[in-house]
Amino acid sequence: MMTPEQAVVVAILSCVAGALLTLLVSRYKTVAGWIAFLVTAGTAVLIFSAALRVLTTGPSLHPAAFWALPKIGFILRIYVDGLTAVFLLLAAAIAVPAAFYSIAYMRHYQDYGVGRYYPYFLLFLAAMYGLLSTTDMMWFFFIFWQLMTLPGYALIRFEYRKRQNVRAANKYLLMMQIACVATMVGAEMLAVAGAAARGSTSLMYDFDTVSANLPLLLRDQPIAAAFAFALFLTGFGIKMGMWPFGQVWLPDAHPAAPSPVSAMLSGVMIKTGVYGLMRYFLWLVPISALADYPLARWGMLVAVLGTITLFTGTMQALKQEQSKRLLAFHSIGQIGYILLGTGTCMALLAVNTPATAALATIAFFGALFHVLNHGLFKGLLFLNAGSMLHSTGTQDLNKMGGMMRYMPLTAVTALIASFSISGVPLFNGFVSKWSIYVAAIQGSGSAHYLVVCAVIAILTSALTLASFIKFFGVSFLSRTSALVKTRAGATNGHLEVPWMMQLPQVVLAFLCVLLGVVPAIGFRLMQHALEASRGGLGTTLANASPMISNPLTGLAQAPSAAVFAPVALAAVLGLMFLAVYGISKLGSASRRAADPWLCGYVREADCHRYVAHNFYGEIKRYFGWLGGAPHPHPEKTPVVKELS
Amino acid sequence: MDRSLIWTIVAGVLNIGIVLLVAPLCQGVLRKVTARVQSRQGPPLPQPYFDLLKLLGKEDIESGQTPAMQRFAAYLSLATVLTVACLVPMGFAPPMNHAGDVILLIYLLTLCGVCTLLAGLAAGSTYSLVGISREMMSMIALEPLFAIALIVGAVHTGSFRLDTVLHGSVYTAAGVPWSGLIMLGVILLSFQAFVQRVPFDISEAETELMEGPLMEYSGPKLALFKYAQMAKLVIYSALFVSLFAPWGSALVFPFGWLLFWAKVLVLVLLVTLVAATHARYRIDQALRFFASLFAVALVALVLASYGH
Repeated sequence: MMTPEQAVVVAILSCVAGALLTLLVSRYKTVAGWIAFLVTAGTAVLIFSAALRVLTTGPSLHPAAFWALPKIGFILRIYVDGLTAVFLLLAAAIAVPAAFYSIAYMRHYQDYGVGRYYPYFLLFLAAMYGLLSTTDMMWFFFIFWQLMTLPGYALIRFEYRKRQNVRAANKYLLMMQIACVATMVGAEMLAVAGAAARGSTSLMYDFDTVSANLPLLLRDQPIAAAFAFALFLTGFGIKMGMWPFGQVWLPDAHPAAPSPVSAMLSGVMIKTGVYGLMRYFLWLVPISALADYPLARWGMLVAVLGTITLFTGTMQALKQEQSKRLLAFHSIGQIGYILLGTGTCMALLAVNTPATAALATIAFFGALFHVLNHGLFKGLLFLNAGSMLHSTGTQDLNKMGGMMRYMPLTAVTALIASFSISGVPLFNGFVSKWSIYVAAIQGSGSAHYLVVCAVIAILTSALTLASFIKFFGVSFLSRTSALVKTRAGATNGHLEVPWMMQLPQVVLAFLCVLLGVVPAIGFRLMQHALEASRGGLGTTLANASPMISNPLTGLAQAPSAAVFAPVALAAVLGLMFLAVYGISKLGSASRRAADPWLCGYVREADCHRYVAHNFYGEIKRYFGWLGGAPHPHPEKTPVVKELS
Repeated sequence: MDRSLIWTIVAGVLNIGIVLLVAPLCQGVLRKVTARVQSRQGPPLPQPYFDLLKLLGKEDIESGQTPAMQRFAAYLSLATVLTVACLVPMGFAPPMNHAGDVILLIYLLTLCGVCTLLAGLAAGSTYSLVGISREMMSMIALEPLFAIALIVGAVHTGSFRLDTVLHGSVYTAAGVPWSGLIMLGVILLSFQAFVQRVPFDISEAETELMEGPLMEYSGPKLALFKYAQMAKLVIYSALFVSLFAPWGSALVFPFGWLLFWAKVLVLVLLVTLVAATHARYRIDQALRFFASLFAVALVALVLASYGH
């Protein structure tokens, strides 16, 4: 039986082998697609079994070393603990639907071959497995980071004949290299200073060595250490799309890539930044160093940056009129929630009492659960956007309308995803936001700014809802647009995507609802994850037991201050729904279909439609200074002209 | 079966029943008083009951392209409001006290509005969509106000439990409860908007948008939306009374209970008087108004976090 570490290495190697194989058969789109899917599914099985073993029986005692050149500190050490396991689970859980979706989706690219798609897709996946599990902060961090960045670059410029895609890819490449340098310089500073203090350079870039040397370093050279941590925050902040770095590359890169890759970029890749942040700021620092580690300040910085990120990202998203660009801005917004959760966790851990430790754990659960949830619903939303693109040939929301009639299944899954991201109760996004609010509001006794952050987050949640009411409403509801009418006419109304594209959407939608109604699954998972990753400040988190989770009775905070029982709520709501249905049938009214009333206009024309561009004019005007113009490429004609 | 569960169910059914019974009556009072203020005779008090019954039997014209969504939104809108009724104290402790907390309440109140939005989008008329855009903008500005009021209570009591917070918790500060008093003012000034009455009925605006999101609705669906809107008035009033005016609820059973409903009625009368004597604001005016209220509420929130 393989150890979890061996399983990860085998998964990485099979991805690389699969990449070569798909390159060889890249002339046959479907064959290459199936091979890529089977390889992805195979690695997912490996990853799932490894991660679940770690979560149930605990991690291995030591990191496993695979390949070493000790002279320059070059050693591949892989370690799968609870935190890594959760992120690996997420990567595998999004990669499989994305790969399956690709098989049918990639067929519609007439003039681009898949030779530059599947190999890169698999390398990209392999790099994420590696980056999430290596303990080497220098060489292998660099190798896996580049292995993730370069295929990512190739995937973003997949449609290289469009100039804006190449520009987006270049920007992505530049930002990722800056992030890489920042993180490596930070690691170098910690490692070299640590090695000098300890007098030994063996394994000097290894996570455990750096962690062991850190208390001394924090005490003797606090400024250098703070500088290193600031570099980490910058590097991982760029990767995850934190304000102000995220706005530079993320909104251009995500829409440029093919939709399944957008799902991977937004669902998984930017989460490696979150992983890095959690790992370096919480797990790297031993408890004994807490006195010299300005955790409260870092927590405040991260929480405030998170609040700014979530507000700006979502407000800019509200202005967007291109489906995938809108979703990309929301990725920034949702990362803000994760940052807020992480920052709250750090700020409360610094207080160091049992009560605040419990709250810190709730905040951490909220952040980590939001990582999972965002992966699921944003992955789904990008697949939805891909289906819309596949059926209508455009990303422009102004040209869409009334598609629910033609694509009912895509519409229902998009509605589920929209509800999830807006935090509607009984969908997964609510639970993670709820945990973050609970921790931030109750923790405001120790850190007063947190309650203001929480209120801004609640306000932003309404903004998210507004944005998705627009996204869903103008594309699937509203009235059929001229474009959709033409498309539907050309295909005899068969606009719905093939089943191979429907299935991944259904699976992800099901997971969103499942985690929303039975959040105890997620909470148990995270509790196990914390218990399986005792190290640094993570130990404090693992020792606190903040929430009582039960599949049936839901979640309850230990002193029964905050409760959420989704099953009971769903039951009541369901009963009420039936009762209301009964009431509506009391009068046995007859039904008739008719055209809407247009105030006396004879016919409905496309110019009478109220489109995405028209929504929320006043708010867009008040927050015009915040940036995020809906038309990044002014050479394209603005919408109003097309309509008149 | 567990005894407390039975009580929960009984109390829940009671709450829902009360809301369903009282809501049209409040609407009747509202219409009658409005008429009297405007020197009209006004309809008889039970008229809203008859209206609803009549609507239930009338022809249901579906003008949207996705009738399934129209039906879903109509059923869900009243269902959500009734679910919220189980989370709100109606003279007694909230029945679903163990199923949710104030954060859930904030989000469920938003969901009530979402159903109307979906309904209007599914109908697809341009007027509906204009109304939706406005409705959503006011929701963005309003949701945080009530959220802050509840959070001020939660910060003071250190608890998110519904029965703890919805019991005058905003005033539980040492000394003068500044944050509670500020929030009382803020919510009083924005209360018309929560219950969607003049001067903040911008999304319906019957003189320009012809009921906005509900424009295309008729028959039973319109009855459901109207019923939900009437119930919202009762629920928000009950929320307001239990959060800001809890005095006297500790009296023995019939008196405390009657006092609670008397206070709700006073609030409904207040809403009516304001509505009857004011003209509608434009959306940009309303948004600016809510934004300044939000700034004031933030001050209250910070005060609360410092224990004032």
